[in-house]
Amino acid sequence: MSVIQQLIKEFSRLPGVGSKTAQRFGYYLLKRPREEAFSLAAAICEVAEKIGPCEVCGNFTETAQCEICSNPNRDEGTICIVEEAFEVGAIERAGGYRGLYHVLGGRLSPLDGIGPDEISVRPLLERIRSADGAVKEVVVATNSSVEGEATAVYLEGVIRPLGPKVTRLARGLPVGSELEYVDGSTIVEALAGRREM
Amino acid sequence: MLKLRLFRNLGDQELSFPPEGVAIIGANAQGKSNLLEAIYYLETFRSFRGARVEQLIAFGEDVFRVAGQVVSGNDVGGSPTEVAAAYEGSSRRRKVTIDGAEPERIGDAIGRLGAVIFSPADMGIVNGGPVRRRRFMDVALSLNEEGYLVALQAFRHALAQRNAALRSGQLEAVVRAWDEPLARSAATVMGARRRWVSEWRDAFRGYYEEVSGGDSATMTYVPKVAVDDLPDDGIYGACRNALDVRWAVDLRRKSTSAGPHRDELLLALVDGESAVEAREFGSGGQCRTVALALRLIEGDSIRRARQSAPVLLLDDAFAELDDARRERVLGLMGQDRFGQVIITAPKESDLPLQGDGLPRWGINNGQICA
Ligand SMILES: [Zn+2]
Repeated sequence: MSVIQQLIKEFSRLPGVGSKTAQRFGYYLLKRPREEAFSLAAAICEVAEKIGPCEVCGNFTETAQCEICSNPNRDEGTICIVEEAFEVGAIERAGGYRGLYHVLGGRLSPLDGIGPDEISVRPLLERIRSADGAVKEVVVATNSSVEGEATAVYLEGVIRPLGPKVTRLARGLPVGSELEYVDGSTIVEALAGRREM
Repeated sequence: MLKLRLFRNLGDQELSFPPEGVAIIGANAQGKSNLLEAIYYLETFRSFRGARVEQLIAFGEDVFRVAGQVVSGNDVGGSPTEVAAAYEGSSRRRKVTIDGAEPERIGDAIGRLGAVIFSPADMGIVNGGPVRRRRFMDVALSLNEEGYLVALQAFRHALAQRNAALRSGQLEAVVRAWDEPLARSAATVMGARRRWVSEWRDAFRGYYEEVSGGDSATMTYVPKVAVDDLPDDGIYGACRNALDVRWAVDLRRKSTSAGPHRDELLLALVDGESAVEAREFGSGGQCRTVALALRLIEGDSIRRARQSAPVLLLDDAFAELDDARRERVLGLMGQDRFGQVIITAPKESDLPLQGDGLPRWGINNGQICA
C-alpha cells in the first residue's frame, strides 16, 4: 500500500468520513504547503502524547487530575455522570454547574456486550464510598436514548444504597452530534429541572 | 411525475401520470407490480411485498433511485413536493430527501405521498401469523400518528437490549434496567393501537358488511398485557406489572414474554350470535373481503390525517372476489375516497369496471408506453 493510500485509509476511520471524503482530505493535504501538513501532524501527535483520562473522573486532561477535579472552588458534594468525556465540555460551556463529573466511557448495551463492568461503574461506586458521605447528590446526565435511560435506571439502583440523592436531568442529554446543536440554555434548564429518581 | 433509475427491471424512465390516474395493462412478469412497488416505496421506504431493499436494485447494478412529485389534494395550484429515495448496495446507504433536503430521520419523511395499495399479498394480513396484523397496524399508525414510529422503534430497541441481557446471563439489576424504557415506549405503542382500533372498528364492520352483502365481521385489539378499561396513563403501570409478574418466566426462557410484540388484532367473522376467527375459518372470499375492509379503513385514516384523498394503487387485487363483491368494492372506491388511481391488470378484460374512464398504458419488459 502506498503512503497516500495509507493516509486515506487512516482518514476513512474517522466518524462521518467515507472513502470519498477521506480521498479529498488526502489530496487536499498534498496540494497545500507542506507546513500545513506538519502542523496538523504535530497537533495530532501532541494530543496523543499529552492527553489522557483524569485518574479521578475520566475527563480529558494533560495532567494526572483534570482542571475540574483539581479546582478547590468546585462543589465536591455533587457528581454529574456523563457517558463520554466530550459531554463534560458541553455542560461546562453551558455554564452554571459547579460540581464534579464522572465519565462512564459508554453506556449499557447488552447487544454490544457492554455491561456494568465494561464501563466505569466500579470506580464511580468506589469514589462515592471513599468520600465517606461527602457526596450528597449524583446527577445522572446520560443521554435521552433508550440506552441512556436504562443506564440511568441501573445507576440509580446501585448508587442510592450508598447514601447520595440520585437525580436525573429534566430530559436526558441529547445524543452524540445532536449535542453540538443544543444551545447552552437548554442544558442549563435540564440541569435546573433535575428531579430525584 | 415519477423518475425511476435502476429500480428492479424498470430501467431509466420518467413518467407523467394523468391527474385522474392510469390503467396499466401488461402480461405477467413485465414489471406492473414493480412499478407500484416503486411508487409505494416513496410512501414507506420499504417494499410493500416485503422484499429487502437490496433486492430492489436492478440486476448487476449498485444504486437505485426513485423520485416523485407529490401534489397534495388540498393545495391544488401549490407547488408539488419532491420525495426522492435512493439506495446504494455497496455502502448499504439509504438516502431520502424531501425537496432536496435530508430529514433528520427517514421516519420523518414517511407518509408524504399519501397512498394505499391493494394487492394479492394482503391475504396474508388475514390468514398469516399475528406479526402480519401487527405490521398492518404499525404501518397505518406510523403514517398517521405523530410520534408512533419513534415510540415503536424505541420499543423494539429496548426489547432487543433486554433480551440480549437475558441471553447473556446478566445480573437481574442489569436486565431490569430496561424495564423502564421498555414499558414507557410499550405504553405509547399500545395506547395508540387501542385508540386506532376503537376509532375504526365500526367503519371496518361497515365496509365488510357492505362488500359481503350481508355477513358481518369485527376487528378487536387483543393486547398481551391486559389493559381493558385502563386510561392511557395506566398502561405504563400495567406493563411494568406484567414485567414483574413474568420475571421468572422471562428468566427461564431468556426472552421477554409480555408486551406489544405479542399483541393480536383479532379479525372475526360474525354470524348471528357466534363469531369465528377469519384466519382459521374464513373462506378465500371472506378473507379477501376482510383484507379489503382493512385497506379501506387505512385509506380513510390517511384521508382524515392528511385531509386529502390518498392515491389508490390496485395491484390485481380482486382475484378471489365474485362479481357481485367486486362491483360493490369498486362502488366504495369510487365515492371520492381516493384521489389518483393507478391500477394494473394482465389483460384489458381483467380490468375492473373502474378502469373504464382511465387512460391505458402498456408495459413490456419494464418499459412503460403511455
Ligand atoms: Zn477529573
